[in-house]
Amino acid sequence: MGVSSAKQIRAWSLILALIALALLIVLPLLQIFIQSVYVDGQLQWSAPFQTLAASRFAGVLFGSIWLGICVIAGTTVLALPLAWIMSNTRLASWRWLDVVLLIPFMTPPYIGSMGWILFMQKNGYLEQLFPSLHFLTPFFFSFGGMVMIMSLHLFPFLYLLLRGALVRIGGSLEEAGAVMGGGFLYRFRRIILPLLLSAYGMGALLIFVKTIAEFGTPATFGRRIGYEVMTSEIHKYISSWPIDFGKATSMASVLLTACLLVWYVQSVINRKYTYRLVGGKGSRPSRLRVSVWTTGLSVTFILLLLIASIGIPYFSIIAASTMKLRGIGLAWDNFTLDYYKELLSWGSESMEALLNSVFLSLGASTIAVVLGTWFALVIGGSRTKLQRTVDAFSLLPNTVPGIVMVVGLILWWNSPWMPIPLYNTYGMVILTYVVLFVPYTVQYVKSAFTQVDTALFQAGQVFGGAPSYVFRRIVLPLILPGMLAGWMMTFTIASRELVGSLLILPPSVQTSATYIFAQFEQGQVSLGMAMAVISVGLTTLLLILMESLNSQRKWK
Amino acid sequence: MMNKHVFRTGWKKGAMLALTLTFGLAVAGCGTDTPSKDGAQATGSAGQAGAASTDQKLVVYSAGPDGLAKKLVAGYEAQNGVKVELFQGTTGKILARMEAEKANPVADVVVLASLPSVQGLKKDGLTLPYPDAKNADKLNPDWSDKEGNYFSTSASALGIAYNTKLVKTPPTSWADLAKPEYKDQINIPDPSLSGSALDFMTGYLSANGDGGWTLFEQYKANGVAMAGANQEALDPVITGAKSMVAAAVDYMTYKAKAKGEPIDIVYPKEGTVISPRPAAILKSTQHEQNAKAFIDYLLSDEAQKLVADASLLPGRTDVKADKRANLDEIPLLKTNWEWMGEHGPDVTEKFTQMFK
Repeated sequence: MGVSSAKQIRAWSLILALIALALLIVLPLLQIFIQSVYVDGQLQWSAPFQTLAASRFAGVLFGSIWLGICVIAGTTVLALPLAWIMSNTRLASWRWLDVVLLIPFMTPPYIGSMGWILFMQKNGYLEQLFPSLHFLTPFFFSFGGMVMIMSLHLFPFLYLLLRGALVRIGGSLEEAGAVMGGGFLYRFRRIILPLLLSAYGMGALLIFVKTIAEFGTPATFGRRIGYEVMTSEIHKYISSWPIDFGKATSMASVLLTACLLVWYVQSVINRKYTYRLVGGKGSRPSRLRVSVWTTGLSVTFILLLLIASIGIPYFSIIAASTMKLRGIGLAWDNFTLDYYKELLSWGSESMEALLNSVFLSLGASTIAVVLGTWFALVIGGSRTKLQRTVDAFSLLPNTVPGIVMVVGLILWWNSPWMPIPLYNTYGMVILTYVVLFVPYTVQYVKSAFTQVDTALFQAGQVFGGAPSYVFRRIVLPLILPGMLAGWMMTFTIASRELVGSLLILPPSVQTSATYIFAQFEQGQVSLGMAMAVISVGLTTLLLILMESLNSQRKWK
Repeated sequence: MMNKHVFRTGWKKGAMLALTLTFGLAVAGCGTDTPSKDGAQATGSAGQAGAASTDQKLVVYSAGPDGLAKKLVAGYEAQNGVKVELFQGTTGKILARMEAEKANPVADVVVLASLPSVQGLKKDGLTLPYPDAKNADKLNPDWSDKEGNYFSTSASALGIAYNTKLVKTPPTSWADLAKPEYKDQINIPDPSLSGSALDFMTGYLSANGDGGWTLFEQYKANGVAMAGANQEALDPVITGAKSMVAAAVDYMTYKAKAKGEPIDIVYPKEGTVISPRPAAILKSTQHEQNAKAFIDYLLSDEAQKLVADASLLPGRTDVKADKRANLDEIPLLKTNWEWMGEHGPDVTEKFTQMFK
């Protein structure tokens, strides 16, 4: 096999990836931008700027960015110690915690916020349980409360990335530091921090982007405390008469620019601080002497985290889902399981919605992992301009608010000249989920892949391995954890995706998320909450199943 | 150096070929299981040619309430043997979907919860007039189009919903809500999310002139909170976090009350606003005959009875509701729908700014 043909195929693969990304992501978004400059069929380049010049706009943008920064801080405080605990102490063997810690992320944000609101509000569950704690209410309904809710929702995301990086750093480097007499803080500052920075930068960026693109929490909690962000503003133009996609997209493009800017900074950090960590020598987990005190502290930390991120919201959600009358509140004679019975009866609308969710997200996450891995391999170390373009394009869906991306997809796939009749079918829903969530796999696989030393592939070749053999036996096992994390993330989020589903589902089709939303709209809060419990429970079960199958295989 | 390059590209080649292939298959796969639209267009043109017997499809976009929309569709399907594809959402969601589908419209009939929106559709030339609709003459003439562009087949009235455990003597006028005893206890729906709340605001302003803003200023001063769409505003009142909702949609309150929740509604004595829920055929319809039959069904005795059973006001003046206050029992403000439709965006803007 000549060098030229291998080179050619690599070039073709790159170009094909670019074409795929253009068709799936870039062109649909472009359609929106075209619409934002056409006002009543006339080209007006100034239209977006007029929108942005509106006096309130700067404040709203600042609100979004400040929220993003605060949530990065919040998630860091939660995720960093957790990642350290789960890679450096004996608690690391509690692998089930990984799936449990995904529960906050699986909970639809607006449901999680509602759980907190029901718990903390006047006459809420907290007050019903401990009447003397009612003085906490005003402290909770504040900007700080919003940052807390969003951090508790998003931290698992950062945690998975950080833990992955810490595990790859392994014990030997830190032990070398310890042998040379470095104290814990010194080791952390000079060894772990620099090695962690690229993964952290990536995670922080995605947290930032997820925060400013998040709609659920601002819509439920932010509106209560009067905190305005870009997404709620965009949503207003896109869902109330008169509909104005132009204004919405003008704002979206500012959001996009802000995100691309942050992305650029991150990629600079990334290039500077990426090290080949997975070499031929094999690594083992770090188990530096951890004192009883540290272990105790770690267990306490995890316990408190679980109470705050799962305990409190799910107490509210489950309580609300088992109440005959919400006006009566917590009381034993007000308890019923009727809503669950209604939901789970076979052939019911809710059951159908649930099955739709499961199958659609299974399909979407599988396709997204395949596509995302391909993109990540094409991007490689993002050395060339084209590779960086693929990188940027594949990240786009994560930097645009979901609702904007979805409108772009509708405009694109429902154009009169579109030869593939995908719109209004299940295929369209899967495609939308794939587009929305492909960045996760790309990020996870990239993060795993860039830290693998090329010496490993060379070794495989030297010992006579064919390319496919090297891929199967060396590359695949090394990127598999990244692929799995991407698959789990995609499945998790796709199964609760709301904003896109609301607009893109074919008539007469519902998913569990749109079902929940519809129940809230119809005043059936208990029924909606019951559905949330069931769908999150089902997703958790599936993930635990996956995880246990995976670890079984590992030990064989 | 050269060798390293070969090594790197070698395995990559295999991997990428495989992934590229999979991607191609996935796209092809999605393309094949999607016959519906071609079919729809084919039957659509046949329907326009008058061969109604082959046209067995209708796409309806309907704003809630959920149960009623489904019952109406089921009734129509049983009567006409036509398969209805129903998309349900808020008025905003429906309008957004229609806007996104502008280049290639899918819906045949829309049922919205906001009169100004449908007036806007008519103004943009998107509606198909159906002046011969059966029973249209029995509709309340104030809420429907004279040329048959839209028909308000149901309506809700706006009132003050209150928690019966927290409020023992309910207020009797809109001005009462500005009293200090209710400070920080009242929700009002966000007019940018609730068409009916906007109807109340524009209706109140059109009846009271610019002086109407004084009421809202007093509300703001009394800590009235703007809280999401209708149900989001009502929910805290059911759980007791708030005491009252100003401009509450009545059928939602009736529904919660029927369930046994501690809630009730009053219509203030100086009058309130009715929020009609119009249905319209879209000019782009592929199934004109079916769409017309659907409008006829919505205006039929059977459908109007379903409307009344869902605690909404029937659109026809000759149908009475027995589970709720009828039109003649609700004091009304003298509203001007023309003015209301025109000034909706400005009022929304000013109001949301004020209550932020």
